[in-house]
Amino acid sequence: MTDTAIAASALGKRFGRRGGWALRDCTFRLPAGRVCAVVGPNGAGKSTLLALAAGLLGATEGELTVLGTTPAQARTRIGYVAQDKPLYPQLTVAETLQMGADLNPERWDAAAAERIVAAGDLNPKSRVRALSGGQRTRVALALALGKRPGLLLLDEPMADLDPLARHELMGVLMVQAAQHGTTIAMSSHVVAELEDSCDHLLLIGGGRVRLAGEIDDLLAAHTRVSADADADLAAHTVVESRTTGRQLSALIRPAGPLPDDWRTDTPSLEELVLGHLRNPGAPALAPAEEAVA
Amino acid sequence: MTALSAPAPAPAPAATARPHLTRWVLRLHRPALYVWTALVLLSTVLLLLLHGPFADAAAEGWRRFDSCGFNTVCRYDQSAILRYKDWYNYATLAVAAVPFLTAAWAGGALFGKELESGTAQLSWAQSSTPVRWLSVRLATAAVLVTAGTGLLAWLHHLAWAAGRGRIDSAKDWYDMGTFLTGGPTLGALSLAGLAAGALAGLLWRRTLPALAFGTLLTGVIGGTAQLLLPHLWPTLGRSGHGYPTSPAGSWTVSQGGNTALYHVTYHPYSHYWPLQLTATALLLTVTAVLTLACFVVLRRLTGRAAAR
Repeated sequence: MTDTAIAASALGKRFGRRGGWALRDCTFRLPAGRVCAVVGPNGAGKSTLLALAAGLLGATEGELTVLGTTPAQARTRIGYVAQDKPLYPQLTVAETLQMGADLNPERWDAAAAERIVAAGDLNPKSRVRALSGGQRTRVALALALGKRPGLLLLDEPMADLDPLARHELMGVLMVQAAQHGTTIAMSSHVVAELEDSCDHLLLIGGGRVRLAGEIDDLLAAHTRVSADADADLAAHTVVESRTTGRQLSALIRPAGPLPDDWRTDTPSLEELVLGHLRNPGAPALAPAEEAVA
Repeated sequence: MTALSAPAPAPAPAATARPHLTRWVLRLHRPALYVWTALVLLSTVLLLLLHGPFADAAAEGWRRFDSCGFNTVCRYDQSAILRYKDWYNYATLAVAAVPFLTAAWAGGALFGKELESGTAQLSWAQSSTPVRWLSVRLATAAVLVTAGTGLLAWLHHLAWAAGRGRIDSAKDWYDMGTFLTGGPTLGALSLAGLAAGALAGLLWRRTLPALAFGTLLTGVIGGTAQLLLPHLWPTLGRSGHGYPTSPAGSWTVSQGGNTALYHVTYHPYSHYWPLQLTATALLLTVTAVLTLACFVVLRRLTGRAAAR
């Protein structure tokens, strides 16, 4: 086994010969056993990245290693739930799970899948087409988790859930991660949704990796400072700075000790993400040298 | 919230366990399977009736009509003659529609809809590859289409042969509807329709355009085959002074010339099976090319490695 769930190096995906790049020059490494938030604005390339990792799309350039091998060869060990939770509408919930068992004969955990469905108070005999958005998400998750995946890729999994169902299903995922060591990568454009549950962050903007790493490390690497307007930030990496009157406030990556007369503060995850998204020119922070494992 | 506990032990490897893909293709397309079964059954009943009682009654009607003199009141069963003729045309129409229905279904339901709604990706995210997904769908449909069209073409041939030489209004062997529906050409064109629909589905990845394009492509293939048909086997010819004609019951392919030298080329009835078999071979070649194209498109869609 490998301790890396996903390793990407210079990964790029372009749709069509003349189409734009949905993803370009992506280099990052996601250690195994982490719960990773894949964050970025709409159209940033999150879905493309997850589909590439699930082996549903082929990369245009670069390397992508999943669970120590190619995404296609890791297929039996990857669970994937697409953004619109596609399921066969004509099947019942029970039939959908039976299909999961038949199509994944080597790994299927019927009890686990049924538990997830049962917890949602779903009638196994109801047809998928009659389910609400939240119920569909639950069935789709059951189908993905029944596979006992080593890596679970979820594209906007909580988007159409009410707060209660969201909390419940997030709990199911956390239990899965804790009990089975499943690596989970889930995308969202709402940072707050993932802040409490995730320990790793992958921020994508404009098809590129803007931030990648442990959330604690990323927060520790940044400082929010307030200083006089004439303060010199040049020694540090500036993500964002704003001058209001005689006051300068900035989000920086300190390169060394800061002067004592600057007020410093640890940014919140949301501030960190927004700071980087507002300033596409800010240097990315991704442990690129680690990525080539 | 990093997981600290060790990963759960891997489930016991089940070396012989293979995904049951065929069962789910049949389950997911159960309505189409029912419609196909009903179409085959109804056509079978109709063709058996045509082969037996309808043809016999019409032949008796023609026998009486032909023995009537000009001056006597002729008593013959006209309705029996019309019944054979009309129902034969309906049966021919139903059987000849099969390649187009197959194309529409393959493009629309089997591939276009799955790729449009994302359920194709759902299948690829299970334990078997996109290539298996495509091959199992094509193979399952091909088996059912071949079995059904084989039966229908055989029965249609019988229903036509029952009238040949006995019913004056029976279709000639080279009538296009009769030729297409009376031999293996029907199965080959239906398989070409299946492949054309599949290709349309994979290219458009949307239900309606794929349905339309698959059907259209099948029409183009069928039309081209029809145009090429007389040239798929060497014709016989006659030439000379006066106006030589092709023998009775043969298919005139060309005629022309001038009063000095006039010529006619034709296919005698003995060319029926050579023409059926060469047309079948041609259509199966087209099917193979379309099928190959399906796999190429799938590979472009899912990536070289992923498709394997």
